[in-house]
Amino acid sequence: MKIALFSDIHANLPALEAFFADVETHKPDAVYCLGDLVGYNIWPNEVIDEIRKRGIPCVTGNYDFGIGRSSDDCGCAYKTDEEKALGKVSIAYTNEIVNDEQRAYLRTLPAHIRLEYQLNNDKLNVLLVHGSPRKVNEYLFEDRDEKSLLRIMEQADADVLCFGHTHQPYHRVLATDDRFYHAINIGSVGKPKDKDPRGGYVLLHINDDSSIKDKDSIQVEFIRFDYDIEKAAKAVEDSPLPNEYADMLRNG
Amino acid sequence: MKIALFSDIHANLPAFEAFLADLDSRKPDAVYCLGDLIGYNVWPNEVIEKIRVRGIATLAGNHDLKAKYLVTLEHHLNEPGKNHAYHLVKQVNRDYLGTLPAHIRLEFKLNDDEQLNLVLAHGSTRSVDEYVLEDTDEAYLLGMMNEAKADILCVGHSHKPYHRIIKTENGCKHVINIGSVGKPKDGNPDGCYVLLTMTDNTCLFDKDSIKVEFIRVAYNVQCAATAIEESLLPNEFADRLRNAY
Repeated sequence: MKIALFSDIHANLPALEAFFADVETHKPDAVYCLGDLVGYNIWPNEVIDEIRKRGIPCVTGNYDFGIGRSSDDCGCAYKTDEEKALGKVSIAYTNEIVNDEQRAYLRTLPAHIRLEYQLNNDKLNVLLVHGSPRKVNEYLFEDRDEKSLLRIMEQADADVLCFGHTHQPYHRVLATDDRFYHAINIGSVGKPKDKDPRGGYVLLHINDDSSIKDKDSIQVEFIRFDYDIEKAAKAVEDSPLPNEYADMLRNG
Repeated sequence: MKIALFSDIHANLPAFEAFLADLDSRKPDAVYCLGDLIGYNVWPNEVIEKIRVRGIATLAGNHDLKAKYLVTLEHHLNEPGKNHAYHLVKQVNRDYLGTLPAHIRLEFKLNDDEQLNLVLAHGSTRSVDEYVLEDTDEAYLLGMMNEAKADILCVGHSHKPYHRIIKTENGCKHVINIGSVGKPKDGNPDGCYVLLTMTDNTCLFDKDSIKVEFIRVAYNVQCAATAIEESLLPNEFADRLRNAY
């Protein structure tokens, strides 16, 4: 079966609409959202509504967790004072515009969704989280130490771990003595940070021979799609949000 | 959030279409199917295709797995009997059924990060064809739920809906049988599914903080029963639909 995984829309409605149009052409058998629906753009309510309308199972992101609880902290690890100041504007603005009903939805999202397969009498657990299984706002970058990544996956009983949060997609296969683990960062629909401004998501292929013993029995496709970046960037510039966020969209 | 849970459609397209219309009118936030898409009626492919087009997260039921290993040659399609229901399933749809997960687990952290696990299975967490009934022994059930780390366990398979609350030292456990869309066995021929509502107050210590609604959906039973009678399937299946046993 073909599973579509997307996340980090960050209130970017033009990108979400383009994602839906693109993903339909691939006819996935199931679709999951890995969180961060809101923040950094002007359409948080609309993005939430589009995902709810489709009944898409969704886990909570750090930004969703913060806004759901009307917090002034979104759990983002800003490096400089300038980034922190910009971040404060975004969370205050998002808190101001998100409606009660949409906020209640964000508050009741699950932290993780786990798909437990038993193919060929073998166990295969696909774990869907936003940041890491340990923490909603932990970043798992591609250069993460292998031992640390393996420990996280073993502790979480995850054979295939899918996550977002960093906005930088990758697929890492980790080999141990007799088996393989897969760590998959699914990228970002509405705020890519890998120098490619197009939206990104993943198609995960599970076949009836998918197994932890054969690393090629689980296939991961990274899809990129064009959207109206100018519309999303202009919306930022025409709002109280810092113009820097518009530049980030234009430059990925 | 409002989660819709349905299962045991059993190739009953009229029941499934009526269910989908009812489901859409209630605007759930997420939808899961707990398996048994096929068997007992003539529309397995139509049901599977509608579930796939909608991208509904679906588990494997015991009937779904039957089609996986079944060999279908030309002459099998003309043989009367209950296996006719599985021979009808196209290869592309058998491939789909053969790669469905056994369980889906939703791990919530609501009040003060309290962990609450909602586990979806077709039969039980131990076996796809084990029945978890309203009168299944409580100690046995608690042992199974502890083993599976399940606070709320939702199952289908028996086609008899109920909501059981089991008090423990650490709050309440909930066992929910979601009934059957296309082959109810509780004396009511209308299709059945569940809406589960979780709020930010949902916790294990307040049994009423999880709302469970059983929705019944009337559909054209006659149409579904006649389709069986006009097919190579046993006529008894039609009678079972009409009288819900």
